[in-house]
Amino acid sequence: MNEQLIALDRVTVRKTRTVLLDSVSLAVARGELVGIIGPNGAGKTTLLNVIAGFERFEGVLSLFGRPETHRRSRESRLRVGYIPQSFPVDPSFPILAVEAVMTGAIGRTGLFRSPGRRQKEEAMALMETMRLSHLAARPLGQLSGGERQKVSLARAILQRPDILLMDEPTANLDIAVQKEVLDLVDEIHRKEALTVLFVTHDFTMLPVAMGRAVLLDHGRMLFDGDIDTALSGETLTRLFRYPLETFRQKGRRFISYD
Amino acid sequence: MIDPLIDILTYPPIQRAAIACVLCGASCSLLSVFVVLMKMPLIGVSMSHAAFAGAVLGTLAGINPFLSGFVVCLLAAGVLGPLSDRTDLAPENMLGILFSFLMGIAFLGMGILTRTKAGVLNLMWGSLLTLSRFDVTILAVVTGVLVLFVAVFFKEIRAVLFNRRLARASGVPERMIYYALLFLTGAVVSSNLATVGGLLIFALLVQPGATALQLTYDMKHFFLISAASGVGACASGLVISYIFDLPSGASVVLTATVIFAAAYVFSPKRRRARLKERNRII
Repeated sequence: MNEQLIALDRVTVRKTRTVLLDSVSLAVARGELVGIIGPNGAGKTTLLNVIAGFERFEGVLSLFGRPETHRRSRESRLRVGYIPQSFPVDPSFPILAVEAVMTGAIGRTGLFRSPGRRQKEEAMALMETMRLSHLAARPLGQLSGGERQKVSLARAILQRPDILLMDEPTANLDIAVQKEVLDLVDEIHRKEALTVLFVTHDFTMLPVAMGRAVLLDHGRMLFDGDIDTALSGETLTRLFRYPLETFRQKGRRFISYD
Repeated sequence: MIDPLIDILTYPPIQRAAIACVLCGASCSLLSVFVVLMKMPLIGVSMSHAAFAGAVLGTLAGINPFLSGFVVCLLAAGVLGPLSDRTDLAPENMLGILFSFLMGIAFLGMGILTRTKAGVLNLMWGSLLTLSRFDVTILAVVTGVLVLFVAVFFKEIRAVLFNRRLARASGVPERMIYYALLFLTGAVVSSNLATVGGLLIFALLVQPGATALQLTYDMKHFFLISAASGVGACASGLVISYIFDLPSGASVVLTATVIFAAAYVFSPKRRRARLKERNRII
């Protein structure tokens, strides 16, 4: 059996009187690409924030076999990459795309050390591999949402993590760009052998390699299993409390409703 | 016009004023990069009022106003940091409340001050010509620490300015960098009370950074342009105040505003954005 990288045991997150995550238990093995799917307010982002170390929680979280809290060592943080849904950047903010990618490697460079030319070359080579080199010298704030999301992906990869947390990386992108980002995710997952948690509420656009899905609703886990069962009409009807049917065509899932 | 200026520079108070002006420009403009790029001008204004309130309280208590201003600034930084990290509070509201509270303390202190208020008013508007050697030394030490901090932690500062959450996710000690910047803001503001004063310093915490924002996409150049614009505003403001016999603090701030206005009008970034927009429409 593959090594278990992420394990949550009855993890709960409360904010004032609201329960955002309610006793969620989950185990993810090395190399898995798991979808975290649910409607708005289901607790998907909160779950990701707990694993990323951004959120206080009750219960037990283990990463790489070691218990963790929201306070992490640098080494522990370096092993978990994070891609936000979007991050607003002022159009005149003084950072080029390649410099934004390089910020992903700062943690592993360590304090009192300059990134140097080698790290810039490394960032450029990665951008080349990801077919993003044409964006390298452009100011980040002037890139489109899709281009910025791809840069964000490159930034997280340069960190060389074992786990990659992606929070709705295709939200608000047009369909062609969504497809490009998903193809990149599949490519990275395959090449880098990463363990990926992919949060989304759009289950019609998913990475091909996603074999397992966790469905969340109101902070509770509704389902954890293979992707086909998770996205069957029956399960989705239960999740959204609305009669839904799904069908597949040319590898893509479609949804039909009255 | 040059000869009288050179002559006057032979007087120690004028020498001290000139040195303090350059140090004030350098320290405030480096901090303004942080204030402008993190979009936190309220933090700058709150810190400047904390320093002012502390200095007034110090004058009331008969202790060194720099020391009391510095202590209150550090306390304010200690409160502001966690406040701005709280997601369940609107930081702008809390900063607004803190700012008005500090202002209230400062004016209360001034109201109950029975002695002459000239010393306190100097802390509000600054008084370059009455600076002591001690004032300039403190300012030099604080500026030196700030320059060293920016030089040593440049890559971490860039990551934090870009996005605090992403910086934290990448193993950057973003909290340490952020809190250090807050404390340095307190130190810079309180050490500059005697130069441009507790109220006018706010302009120098925003305008040099805002000027650089008009001119470059390169972070290193951003720091350099900001520093040059801050030092330039302070030096030329001092010269203008001498020539036209104007208050030095006000001259410095107005010069900084003129520099910003020029950068805004001739901004290559704005021109490029306009061209791009025009091409998009065509």
